Amino acid sequence: MSLEFLNAFKFQKKNTFVHNLDPRAKLMFSIVYSISALMFTEIIPLFIIFLSLIPMILLGKMIKEWMRSIRGLSFLVLMIIVLNTFFISLGYAMAMIIRISIMITAFSIFFLTVHPNDLALSLISMKVPYPYAFSFSLAFRFVPTIANEAQNIMDAQQSRGYEMKTSGLINQIKNLFPLLVPLIICSIKRAFNVAEALESRAFGSVNERTYYYTIKYTFKDWLFTFYLICFFILTIYVRIQFGLMPEWLAWLAWEMVV
Amino acid sequence: MPQDYPLILVNDVDYKYLNGTVALKKINLKIYKGELIGIMGKNGAGKTTLIRTFNGLIRPTNGNIYINGENIKSKTTGTLSRKVGIIFQNPEHQVFSNTVEEEIKYSLKSLNLSKQENQIKTNDILKKFNLDKYRERSPLNLSGGETKKLAVASIFCRDPDILVFDEPTLGQDAKEISFFIELIKSEMKIGKTIIIITHNIEFAMEYISRTILMADGKIIADGPTKKVITNEFLVKKSALILPQISQFNIALNDIGIPCPHNIYSKNEMTEFLAGYIKNKSKIVSGEGN
Repeated sequence: MSLEFLNAFKFQKKNTFVHNLDPRAKLMFSIVYSISALMFTEIIPLFIIFLSLIPMILLGKMIKEWMRSIRGLSFLVLMIIVLNTFFISLGYAMAMIIRISIMITAFSIFFLTVHPNDLALSLISMKVPYPYAFSFSLAFRFVPTIANEAQNIMDAQQSRGYEMKTSGLINQIKNLFPLLVPLIICSIKRAFNVAEALESRAFGSVNERTYYYTIKYTFKDWLFTFYLICFFILTIYVRIQFGLMPEWLAWLAWEMVV
Repeated sequence: MPQDYPLILVNDVDYKYLNGTVALKKINLKIYKGELIGIMGKNGAGKTTLIRTFNGLIRPTNGNIYINGENIKSKTTGTLSRKVGIIFQNPEHQVFSNTVEEEIKYSLKSLNLSKQENQIKTNDILKKFNLDKYRERSPLNLSGGETKKLAVASIFCRDPDILVFDEPTLGQDAKEISFFIELIKSEMKIGKTIIIITHNIEFAMEYISRTILMADGKIIADGPTKKVITNEFLVKKSALILPQISQFNIALNDIGIPCPHNIYSKNEMTEFLAGYIKNKSKIVSGEGN
């Protein structure tokens, strides 16, 4: 088992339209798409929403990274298929897979294209107090580090006979201890080290701080925001107008898949 | 003496990480039973990636690895960890039990020993590593050196044929390093094969007989340590520094003292300098007469 897929959510510096968008616009994009995905349970509208994400991936030149994030969650996809097919229907399972793919893609685009510093700046511009904004961006920055650490812990335990697969729920929970205890302890130790390093660099000594870099909402950001608003209004309209989607819509999509 | 067929045979091994980084490129390597091998090279050279392939933690993208003549492709890490024990850099990645004793017992769990055998083995290993007095203590309350010892002990108790250490001297004081050296010596005596990843050039020069030098995912040199790590070109390519004895040798030659290049140890250097001074003083006293 590899946790390398978490690196697919790590910021990568590129000079593209998506990378150059304001982080606030991209945050709005992720939220709008996630809410839109949550509004539907039918395949066709979800599939259309999913298709509308493709230009963003292409414009951001991140096909490889996006594929990796989707592939990394293949286990979750498999679980959705099995559970939903077993308890509801295969058509519903397909819809749920598209829904989760939309949400993962939307946030993957956000994390891949927003630098942690820009994330903090965008939160500050939304009047979030600096210590909280900084903590949030720091947590976001540490995701790949923690993934690496978890991988190292897994390697170290496997080297002394730790078996990943055990039978029975209780045994499976027990089996997590050799991974979780070192991970939590190492994370707490790192948090203390980071806190000390920050304090030694006078973090929080001045209430009103200035910023070397600032972010600005430009014309293209407004244009993108306008698109998001139109898109959101359209999805709400479709949802209200059709109420419950006609059965044939879901089934038609299922026939197409088959 | 090493046997005829290799204990570890690495055949044309490549490894590519998911992010596209090619960490190993066409690695070919033979390691024989009873050898003490050092793997050196700059950070990112592929040293740790290479050792992670030995017990199946990662599987080569291309090529094969044979342990004791068997291809490890279809073997699980659990099975391979009985033959290859890897001691990683950070001991804190291992410890999680309530007591030191339980930590050792956890390592023995997968060996399916009887309760009595398990207890005997635990007692033996705790004694061997001087951890007996900490038996009931939480591993989280041990010092850095003791935690490292515990991590090593938890691999040693499984009695693997091949022991792989990733940076064993890192952050260790002189006493801890000498304990580790004695441990290696005693394991060598009973025929264990030992592989050590290290950046400590003085340590390698003194204790390791064969060194593999890696750079950019390739093996750039493989041979007697003294020859490999005193080669200025190779050392520069691996972002290492020459051993002090070699630096001193170069300095002596720079000031006109003709020091031979095959001097690798403190004793050899002392011998050479004593002879040189003796000759010089003879010449000077001869001139005086």
